[in-house]
Amino acid sequence: MASEPAAPVASRDRGAAMGLLARLRSWEGLLLGLLVLIVLWNATSVSGYLDPRNQINLLTLSQEKIIVVLAMAFVIIGGEIDLSVASVMALAAVLIASLYEGGTPMELAVLIALGAGLLAGLNNAFWVAVVGLPSLAVTLAGLIGYRGLARLFIEDRSIGGFPGWFTAITRDAVLGPLSLSLLLFLVLLVVAAVLLHLTGFGRTVYVVGNSRDVARFSGVRVTRLKAALFVMSGFIAALGGVLIASRLGAVRGSTAEGFELDIITIVLFGGVSIFGGRGTMIGVILSIFVILNLRNGLALANLTGNTQLGVIGLLLILSVLVPNLIATARGRLERRAGDRGAGTGQGPDPRRADSISGTASG
Amino acid sequence: MSSHKRLIALLAVLSLMAGACASPAASPSVAAPTTAASEPASEPASEAASEPASEPATEPASEPASEPASEPASEAPSAGGEVVTAEPGQELKMMLLPKFLGILPFDQANEGAMEAHEELENPGALEFVGPTPENSVQGQIEFVTNAPTQDYDVVMISNNAGDQIGSAAATAQEAGVKVVSWDSPIPSAEGEDLFIAQVDFDSIGVVMADMALDIMGDEGGEFAILSASPDAANQNAWIAALEEVLEDPKYDSLELVDTVYGNDKSEESYTQALALVDQHPDLKVIMSPTTVGIAAAAKAMQDEGLCEQVKVSGLGLPSEMVDYTLNGCAPQFALWSFVDLGYLTYYTSYLLGTGAIEGVEGEQFEAGRMGTFSVEKDPTRDAGLRVLMGPFKVYDETNVEEEAS
Repeated sequence: MASEPAAPVASRDRGAAMGLLARLRSWEGLLLGLLVLIVLWNATSVSGYLDPRNQINLLTLSQEKIIVVLAMAFVIIGGEIDLSVASVMALAAVLIASLYEGGTPMELAVLIALGAGLLAGLNNAFWVAVVGLPSLAVTLAGLIGYRGLARLFIEDRSIGGFPGWFTAITRDAVLGPLSLSLLLFLVLLVVAAVLLHLTGFGRTVYVVGNSRDVARFSGVRVTRLKAALFVMSGFIAALGGVLIASRLGAVRGSTAEGFELDIITIVLFGGVSIFGGRGTMIGVILSIFVILNLRNGLALANLTGNTQLGVIGLLLILSVLVPNLIATARGRLERRAGDRGAGTGQGPDPRRADSISGTASG
Repeated sequence: MSSHKRLIALLAVLSLMAGACASPAASPSVAAPTTAASEPASEPASEAASEPASEPATEPASEPASEPASEPASEAPSAGGEVVTAEPGQELKMMLLPKFLGILPFDQANEGAMEAHEELENPGALEFVGPTPENSVQGQIEFVTNAPTQDYDVVMISNNAGDQIGSAAATAQEAGVKVVSWDSPIPSAEGEDLFIAQVDFDSIGVVMADMALDIMGDEGGEFAILSASPDAANQNAWIAALEEVLEDPKYDSLELVDTVYGNDKSEESYTQALALVDQHPDLKVIMSPTTVGIAAAAKAMQDEGLCEQVKVSGLGLPSEMVDYTLNGCAPQFALWSFVDLGYLTYYTSYLLGTGAIEGVEGEQFEAGRMGTFSVEKDPTRDAGLRVLMGPFKVYDETNVEEEAS
């Protein structure tokens, strides 16, 4: 499918630079268009959508997820996956609750919970990066294990009654309409974008994601990088756990159950290749806003859970189908038209293209 | 070369940030005190101690033993309280929010709510919305959070999120939305105006003990419990209530020999029911306080031809139990009417939303066809107010068919 028509070798370098622009024209462009459409539709036909309170609610309701999305983007671009994030969120939330209930000061409980997230990440990192087991298996075990641990702590209880300052983190506006947690999200969003696209670390993530072997031959410390990805993911997931405990004001063993799928979905919808090495933070950010705005519009329009799920599912299926169809169609056209259009290079499909190209060689 | 990338990345990020920061602070409008006592109780026909019993006593003729503890609101009326009646035609936007969509009891509750909606001629909307079962907790929180934005006046919720809904409900309240729970309350009562309780949860022990005694007769015998999951808070409370009731000398002849769990799954409950019979040769009754368990157990006894030996009882839906009741496998079971629960919930919410009642202890009101009710402290929780519907309805061969249709 991804039969790159023999692009002139000379233009490859230029192609790398143009790659991002081309992608903006394709996937990110598509997302941006979609976002504009959804926002326009919501603004004109859904009453209450433009209410500032709603704009804040829209983010607040998903803040834990979208913070973890930022870390997950790194993990997936790095060629791995972390299925354990939601369970780490639960573990952190449960730890906070049960420690606080047991008399530990809240500040300390939060630190311990974040530390537990680091440990969980280290554990994942050890088995994936050092031992070399597939991350799918390792983090699947984590998904079950950390959740089990969380349930052990809390059993079938609900612990709440947290101090006011703790619930205020997600509720009280500190800057304009933004709560501390939303500010944190926006800061992390900038950090993530800079880290991925403007630093050596970010470039290394792409290299490793594209090909572990190539990365190793070119002197990249693959083990260390992968370990860093999982530790980061564990820590951010624990942070998400802190936020959900704060937002809900009570914690149960089932807290954050199933979040991992939503999180991974948002990342993939943002144009990140499940095979690693491809995708941009802009795409991921656009994806976050597309999905949150779509959900919000559907919810305000009083569509039930089933309908919402259906509409979003349909969108995701289309998001996989359309680019592939375009890529296939374009490939055929180009083959038929000879090499006339070879200069345009990259197909629009961000996922299925060949493994080593573009940003990787940068 | 990479300056392009940098520029674009930064621009995008900055524009998103700017967009997010631009919206002005959302100031929650404090709920304006509704004009409360302005509603003169137009009809002073205060039937003070009228039975709130929704069900015209269609009790089994055999033994009327099944109502003692479920004599709810009739003892509550505080002296001199006037009974508020609703003034139809006022506009309210109402949300009926079940735990999730797609099961019969909630549809029945909606039926009852629609009946009251039409009766009260509310020109506003009654929306029956809910999450999917998998997303029940987060979905409910989302619906409650969005309620003020959507200009709802009242949210009627069968809470499945425990205390996790409290913060969202409190925020909705601050924005002027009334929050009425039904079927399942907010445990801490945070953010909740009233809870419409289907039955007195403590009375379920008496009802189950009575049914067991009824089925086994005076000589009594062994019985066992087939519950939902070991974690189910409701069922555990009910079983505890039953165990307490069994201390009463009246029930000395009853011996509870085992408690097993089918996790509200048909297959598992079916297997557990058969295992009970194997392990306890003298078993006479399987008592299942869950609609899934009771139907599965009855089917198991029927399939294995054990109905003469072991009877099934507990909490069940008439439509699912009608065959087993008529063929004698499950001669008696109990439940409340979800249609009535929906009706009463809507009626109470309408009164609360229009300001006819304020939702304070001691208030009395008339709820259409169901009679007079009162607001009281909820004795089953540390905090919170409830309106008790009660009592149980016990089904047997004489009345199951009409209800099942």
